[in-house]
Amino acid sequence: MNDTNDRFKDFFYSAVRLNTEVNYKTINELICSKAISSYRELADMEQLTRIADGSCELSEETVTRIKQLIDSYSKIETITHNYQKIAADNGIEVVSCEDDNYPYNWKVQTGMPKVFYYSGNYSLLDKMVLKGSIAVVGSRNPSKYALYATEQFCRDLGNKGITTVSGMACGIDRQAHLASVNTEGGTIAILAGGVDNIYPSANKDIYNTIRQKGLIISEMPPGQQPLKQYFPSRNRLIAGLTDCTLIMEAGACSGTLHTASFAANQGKEIFVLPNNIYYENSFGGLKLLEDGCNVLVSKESVIDSISQALMYKRMTMGNKEDVFYGELPKNDEEDQVGIEVLRTLAKEKPDELDDEKWKLLIKDALTLKPLCADELCVAMSLPFYRMSKLLTDLELNGTVCQEKGKYSLTFV
Amino acid sequence: MASKPNVATLYSCFTSGTDTTISLIEVSISPGIPTFSVIGLCDSSIRESQGRLRSAFKSCGFDMPKGHITVGISPAYMKKAGSAFDLPMALGILFASGQLYLPPESRIYAEGELTLGGEVKGTPGACLRLKTVRDQTFDYRIVPAGESGSAGIAGFRGMGINSLSDLSRIFDENNYVESDFDYTGNSDINQLLDISMLKGQEKAKRALLISAAGFHNILLMGSPGSGKTMAGKILSGILPPLNRKELSDVYSLNELIEGESAKISDVRPVRIIEPSVTVGKLLGNSLSLTPGELAMANHGILFADELPLYKTEVLDFLRKPLEERKVSLVKRGDLYSFDCNFIFLGTGNPCKCGLMYEKGCKCRCTENQIRKYQSRISGPFLERIDIFSEMRSISGNDMASIYIGDSDSESLEYRKMVENCWHIQHERYGADLLNGTFPDEDIKDLMRIPDKVIMYASEMAEKEFFSARGFTRALRVARTIADLNEAEDVSVDDISEASLFRVKGALI
Repeated sequence: MNDTNDRFKDFFYSAVRLNTEVNYKTINELICSKAISSYRELADMEQLTRIADGSCELSEETVTRIKQLIDSYSKIETITHNYQKIAADNGIEVVSCEDDNYPYNWKVQTGMPKVFYYSGNYSLLDKMVLKGSIAVVGSRNPSKYALYATEQFCRDLGNKGITTVSGMACGIDRQAHLASVNTEGGTIAILAGGVDNIYPSANKDIYNTIRQKGLIISEMPPGQQPLKQYFPSRNRLIAGLTDCTLIMEAGACSGTLHTASFAANQGKEIFVLPNNIYYENSFGGLKLLEDGCNVLVSKESVIDSISQALMYKRMTMGNKEDVFYGELPKNDEEDQVGIEVLRTLAKEKPDELDDEKWKLLIKDALTLKPLCADELCVAMSLPFYRMSKLLTDLELNGTVCQEKGKYSLTFV
Repeated sequence: MASKPNVATLYSCFTSGTDTTISLIEVSISPGIPTFSVIGLCDSSIRESQGRLRSAFKSCGFDMPKGHITVGISPAYMKKAGSAFDLPMALGILFASGQLYLPPESRIYAEGELTLGGEVKGTPGACLRLKTVRDQTFDYRIVPAGESGSAGIAGFRGMGINSLSDLSRIFDENNYVESDFDYTGNSDINQLLDISMLKGQEKAKRALLISAAGFHNILLMGSPGSGKTMAGKILSGILPPLNRKELSDVYSLNELIEGESAKISDVRPVRIIEPSVTVGKLLGNSLSLTPGELAMANHGILFADELPLYKTEVLDFLRKPLEERKVSLVKRGDLYSFDCNFIFLGTGNPCKCGLMYEKGCKCRCTENQIRKYQSRISGPFLERIDIFSEMRSISGNDMASIYIGDSDSESLEYRKMVENCWHIQHERYGADLLNGTFPDEDIKDLMRIPDKVIMYASEMAEKEFFSARGFTRALRVARTIADLNEAEDVSVDDISEASLFRVKGALI
């Protein structure tokens, strides 16, 4: 049938949205006043001429915009062809809200894109409806702790069949994709620019992996550069596509908080990884916790929340298939040494402690936050030449690692 | 009938950059129309001497002889410049015209510039010239009194004169007294910044100490205002003073550039270079053979502030001199090399905002920005750096105690440790060689590093703590730490402390 024609209209819609003044409001008005029945009719010249002639009751603004569109029709057409060419070259497909396979989570919300583009394994979106999905977002410059937690949660939840959705930025996003791409749940990256646009370019490696094994989505047409103003909109899509949102680490004013507020507005559960209250880069996340978000402690609570969301979804969709996430392995509790005793001993009789005891104290100090060698010297009241030996030993056996001049625990 | 010309012969010396040549000066006076000509590829500063001579003779009661005066300066094929030929030319004219008595069969050395009033002044390059002349046999060695400092440092024996009229006392009254020259060096080593200014930055202090003790190249990176720039002055304050030979090396180059105003000081030189520096300025000028910053920093410190702002080709050029501790200039097919045995001290910010090492998360630079900023210092260059330390801004409490607390010189204590450490190393390698500068790479036996320590170090190398070159550099640093502890053998503790000063991990 005229599927090709519909696809052209989808691309045409994107071109109209990006290159003319026709905006969401205009289209809404056109549809409400029944001037057009679908956004696809924007590509219909006859329809447009009819609207411009004033046969429908429309505001002046809308009519002028449509007239402008008619004037630049041929230009938009060229752009559309260009989009289609890039899409064909890069294996990018388009999906519209009128298609059957348009994601359910987006269908039930307003303000989601009418058309979006993808490359990769589209079945992930179908599977997501059954098994659920999480959005994993966080700082681009995260602490070791947050990275470690991201890896653990994404892998464990992915192994349960839950899909991880993130934005393919550096830091937490990257880690989330890496940890989940090989799991059963798979990984979905939503980009701010066109699907063929790798941003940031440093993530080229995971981009290629995700394209092979996961799915890359964007609401922007192929070839579009990721502009600053597209990122909040992208964050909204991430929150909208998933069943719950995990905030791994967020600074006081960060894009991660945007995602959180979108998720909250869409009625999604938000889980925040609790972090050190003295660590500046976690203030945003801690504020969310203070405001009453869920604490991300174990994957069980995330799974519970997702099952609930899915149950509700199934009720509305009329699907009764039950979701089973399997048995969860137990974690080994680490033996707590009498660290309190050691601390007092270090203050009163520092000579009695041997190297092993000092190492325990260093590990203890580093659990709070990453410290540099000088700070450790002051905290332990140890001379530098002794501290250096202990630190090298710890580093050599992989207990601590040095990054940007500071030592932190490796969580292994 | 033409009479036989009277020819007087004496010797002088000229410098062309750092190259010195002893030259023969002949003055002949023959009857004829009064003329004055200087031959031997002389530039105008020498040809103009006619005016100075004429006036100086008059001021001191001599006469410019009437006749055909020719001054020949050999070697005649080399270009010469400078006013130090004034005095030998004047002497030659006075001998040739019979106004002074020329003792027969005597070799006379003289140098100095004349003023119109007949005073004799020193000229730049005196120290280099006098060092060359020192070991030659001369019956008379006459230098300006103003050059006595240079003469003293060069170990030159001779007689200093103040004015042209002193010559008649020497030659007519036979009053030539040869003596050693004394020089008074001022030692302002204690006026340098004290290391206690770096309070609370134990790693940086220790890094500076080890760097000084083993002559290791050092890189300090840190926040703005953390005292990186101070570190240059602090480092020269904990290095032992220059010994006599080093002082003469350092002073002779300084004197060449600055002339008489060069200070005689046993503080090691600190040459501060700017990010705008060119390779030419570092290397020196091969045409005029003037030493560049690298040669000027010999025996001292080459201090490169704001290292990430340097052009990469400048830093990469530095790699070879850092390795060989020598720079070479080629002039007309001849190779002239300068020693440049210095500690390279580099400082800089770790990222664009500079706050990467600060407590907490003040730095807002993205990973890419930091990477881009730091990549301006190339990996191979970083491998030449033995010691790395990060620095943070000094906390308010520490700041207060620096300015209020007792002003005991901590640097003095450090300097004693360094001096002691140098002594141990000189006994091991021979004079002038230290752990950081000892050229041989096969150092294991001489440095007394037990196999156990090598094994431990190779375990570190396995975990990518350092590269192959970094491995031997780390062993050298470990040897210095052992020397600071006055230990015979290098221990595991020493190598593990040394590994803490590596670059890896601190930069991205």
